[in-house]
Amino acid sequence: MTTLLLLLLPSMLFMAGVFALPLARYLWLSFHADSVMTGLVAIPNDGANWNRFLNDLRYWQDLGQTLRFAVASVTLELLLGLAIALLLNQPQRGRALIRTTSLIPWALPTTVMALGWRWIFNTPYGPVNRLFESVFGHSLNALGEPSLAWLTTVYADVWKTTPFVALILLAGLQTIPSDLYEAARLEGAGALTCLKKITLPLLLPYLGLALMFRMAQAFGVFDLIQVMTGGGPASSTESIALYAYWNALRFLDFGYSATIMIGSFIILTMMVAIAWVVIATARRRSVVGAPS
Amino acid sequence: MTLHLQNVGRCIGNQWIVRHLAFQIGNDECLALVGPSGCGKSTTLRLIAGLDPVSEGSIAIGGHDVTKLTPAERSIGMVFQSYALLPHLSVFENLELGLKIRNVQCKDRSIRIQRVLDLLQLSDRASHRPAQLSGGQRQRVALARALIRDPEVYLLDEPMSNLDAQLREGIRPELRRLVLEQQKPTIYVTHDQHEAMAMANKIAIINHGQILQLDTPINLYKNPNSLFVAQFLGRPQINCLKPSDNQIQAIRPEDLKFDDSGLPCRLLSREWLGNTQLLYLASSEGDLRMIMDPSFECPERLFVRWDPQKAFYFDRETGKRIP
Repeated sequence: MTTLLLLLLPSMLFMAGVFALPLARYLWLSFHADSVMTGLVAIPNDGANWNRFLNDLRYWQDLGQTLRFAVASVTLELLLGLAIALLLNQPQRGRALIRTTSLIPWALPTTVMALGWRWIFNTPYGPVNRLFESVFGHSLNALGEPSLAWLTTVYADVWKTTPFVALILLAGLQTIPSDLYEAARLEGAGALTCLKKITLPLLLPYLGLALMFRMAQAFGVFDLIQVMTGGGPASSTESIALYAYWNALRFLDFGYSATIMIGSFIILTMMVAIAWVVIATARRRSVVGAPS
Repeated sequence: MTLHLQNVGRCIGNQWIVRHLAFQIGNDECLALVGPSGCGKSTTLRLIAGLDPVSEGSIAIGGHDVTKLTPAERSIGMVFQSYALLPHLSVFENLELGLKIRNVQCKDRSIRIQRVLDLLQLSDRASHRPAQLSGGQRQRVALARALIRDPEVYLLDEPMSNLDAQLREGIRPELRRLVLEQQKPTIYVTHDQHEAMAMANKIAIINHGQILQLDTPINLYKNPNSLFVAQFLGRPQINCLKPSDNQIQAIRPEDLKFDDSGLPCRLLSREWLGNTQLLYLASSEGDLRMIMDPSFECPERLFVRWDPQKAFYFDRETGKRIP
C-alpha cells in the first residue's frame, strides 16, 4: 500500500502543482483586493469581489456571449465534421491527400488565421465587403455590427476547427466493422437506416469526445476574439476569458480577475455535472428499455 | 429449392479472385468450402450473398436468376465470422432490427423472435447486450438472426472460428442439427478440415480461386484428384515420398505397416495422442508419419512397408493424380 502511494506520489505532486495550486491561489486571491489601488498587495476585502461579481452585468452578458459562441460554433463543427468524416470514409481516389490538406486550417496558429479573417471581413478593404457591395450595392460592416461581428468569429472558428472534429469522427468511423453494414444490407437497409441504427450509435463516444474537447476550448476562447474584434464592437463579442484578461492586465485588478476565473470555473463545473447526469440517465434508460 | 452457380467469377482490375465456380446444391445439402486463407472461399460466399458483384457467370436460387439482384432481394440468411451484432442493442433488438427494416408487423415480430429465441435456448438472454453474452451465445444470436428471416439459402462464414476448440466441438452437433433441420441449401465456409468433414455432406476444396475437387468427405479422402487435396484433408498429413520419374508417391500414415523386408527407417520422435501415437520416421524416401497403437514401444530402427494399391501417385509438375 505504501509502495503504491510512493509510486503515485510524483504524478500526484505534478497534478497538484499544475491544477490544484493555481486554483487554490486564485480562490484565495478572489477574497482579496489586489490591484493598483492597493499597491499590488493582497488585502482581505470580506467578499467584496464576489459581491461585485454577482452584480456585474458585463460579466453575465459576456457569459451569455461566450455560451452563444460555444454552442453555435461547436454545433456547426460537429454537423460539418460529421458530414466531412462520412465523405472521407468513402473509398475513393486521393483520399489520403484530401485528408491531409483538410487539416491545414487546423494546423495554422489561431492568431495568424484570425488576422487573415480580420482582413477578409474588413470594411471597406476586405474581399467580403467588396463582394457584398458588388452584389447588393451597399457596404457590409461585418466586424463593426454587433449582430454580425459574433457570427464572423463563429465562422472563423468553424473554419479552423471543423477539420479537427472531422478527424476525430473519421477515426471513430474507421473502428466500425464493415460487416455490420453488410448484415444490414442483407436485410435491405438503406443509407439512412444504416446511419441511424449503426453509424451514429457507434460513433457516439467519439461525438462525445469531440463535443467535450471543443466545448472546453470554445468556452475559454481568447486569442481568436482578441485578434479579430478585440471583444468589440461595444463588447458584443467579448468572452469571459477576454474580460478576465482585461481586468488583470489592463486594469491590473488581480483580485477581481481571480474572482471571474473561479466563478467561471464553478459555472463550467456545474454545467459539466448537469450534462453528465443527463447522459447517464439517458444511457441507463436505453439499457432497461428492451423488452424481455 | 436449389442453389446453382454457373461459371461464376469475380475479377478486380485484371486479376481473378475466383473463377469458373460451378456447383449445384439441393435442399438437404450442406456444402463446405475449404481452403487456405486467401483462396477465395469467403469471396464465393459474398458473391452468392450479393455483397460483391459477379464479373462473369450466373447464380440461381430455386431456378430464378439472382445474379443482378440486391442482397436484400435474394433471401439469404448469413452468419458472419464476427457475428456482426450491434453492440448497443439487446439480443431482442438485434433480431428485431432486420424485421423492422422489412416492415414486419409488430405483433408478428415478437412472435417470430420468441420462437427463434426458444429454438436456440436464448429466451433468458433477450434483454442482454452482445457484450454480456458468452462467445457461444453470441454465435447463437448470429445464427438466430439468419434463421428468423426464413431464407431460401443459408451462408455461414467461419461461424465457429471465434470460439475456443472445446466449445467448438460442443456446438458442432447442435449447429449441424439446426442447419439440417431447415432443409435449405447451406454453404459453410471454414479453413478447418475437421469442421468441414463434421458439418457438411459435401466439401469443395478451393485453392487460388478455383474449386480443385468437390465431393463427399469420404470420397475426397479416399480419392483425391490432386496432391493439394490429398495434403489438405487428413491429419496427420499424408506422407509424400521423394519424387521419381516426375511422379510423387503419397501414402496415408495409417496405411504404413511394420515389415522386416520393408524400407529401413530410424525413429526421430513420437507423440502420444491419447488413443494413438504418432511416429516420425526418417528414411531414404524422406520423413514419414505413421500411426500406431499407443502401447507400442517403438525400437530405434525399424522397417516399414505399404500396399502399393493404397498409395496415390501425382504428377510432379501439375500435382494432378496419375491413375
